[in-house]
Amino acid sequence: MNIMEPGATTARCPGWLRIALIGRNPRRTLIRAAVLAVCCFVFFKFFVFKFIVLPVRIEGYSMFPTYRDWGINFVNRLAYRHSEPQRGDVVGIRMAGPSIMLMKRIVGMPGETVAFEHGRLLVNGQEIDEPYLKHHSPAPFMDPVKLKPGEYFVIGDNRMNSDSGRVGRERIMGKIVL
Amino acid sequence: MKRAGQIIFAAAIIGVAFWLWTVLFPSPEKVIRSRLNALAKSLSFNSGSGLLGKAYDAQKAAEFFTTDVDVEVNLTGYEPISLHGRDEVLQIVVAARSRLTSLKVEFPDMNISLGADGQTAKVNLTGKGTIPGERDISAQEFNFMLKKVDGKWLIYQVETVKTLSMFKVPCAKCQVSGIKSLARSFLPDT
Repeated sequence: MNIMEPGATTARCPGWLRIALIGRNPRRTLIRAAVLAVCCFVFFKFFVFKFIVLPVRIEGYSMFPTYRDWGINFVNRLAYRHSEPQRGDVVGIRMAGPSIMLMKRIVGMPGETVAFEHGRLLVNGQEIDEPYLKHHSPAPFMDPVKLKPGEYFVIGDNRMNSDSGRVGRERIMGKIVL
Repeated sequence: MKRAGQIIFAAAIIGVAFWLWTVLFPSPEKVIRSRLNALAKSLSFNSGSGLLGKAYDAQKAAEFFTTDVDVEVNLTGYEPISLHGRDEVLQIVVAARSRLTSLKVEFPDMNISLGADGQTAKVNLTGKGTIPGERDISAQEFNFMLKKVDGKWLIYQVETVKTLSMFKVPCAKCQVSGIKSLARSFLPDT
């Protein structure tokens, strides 16, 4: 018959390990751990996930197959602190605020003229290679659009099912991390 | 020690007094925010609502608008929708309620700018619509113009804001999605 006496576990556990794991005073350690957990929660919720990286859940198919519906990702808000968005970047574009964002790829830079012919991207009349596209589609078609300073042209990777258009720099919240 | 206790007590009294002040005399921004949240609540309904309840909520939602309200909804791929007056708004709300079994409306981001006179305000917000039990959400950016009428903030103009200055994707099948189909479902049969 196996009978476990109270304290039998601690007897087998070396004293230093017990101290390292739960401290000399377990009750105090528990309080310290609880305080640390609350501080970490507050730090991540109100600082990291607000000003540094915004966690997002992807809904819809406009970036399919690069990003799948219902995937989890992050928007890096510091990505464009010291540099400007570049062609090919996938960015989060805010609506009235950061609660709901559009996820699109930048294909046109400020001052450029963007057009689509049979699904091919033309920038200033030159065809641009888009290695990130997994499937080339015959759409969209679009007459040349001249972008103003501070304006970017964005579109989803799923060209057959994506809204697109010009967006001001102030609406770009950050770069998609993963 | 006694001194520290007195300081903490005084700080607590000041804190409670400040909180009471904000509750009793809220700022116009706070009033507008709470009015729009109440509007979102009135626009939401679930399958358990009875006919009378639905009609009451629709009437309540219409009361957030002035009698001569102008609503312009312009969505890519659809004919623009123009509503004039509270009665037309009420009709649309009732039509939406009869066509959908449930709907949850939220305004998650509100940017409020008060007019110089303090009697008008412009609110840029995101309208989010979800049908409980379904995964997809519909979202659209709007500008709401409000004015103070008899001490109440009422909406006198609504217009859609195009987050992207879009061009139309030439794929008819793709257009019937999200807010577009939702907006269409609001329209009475013609």
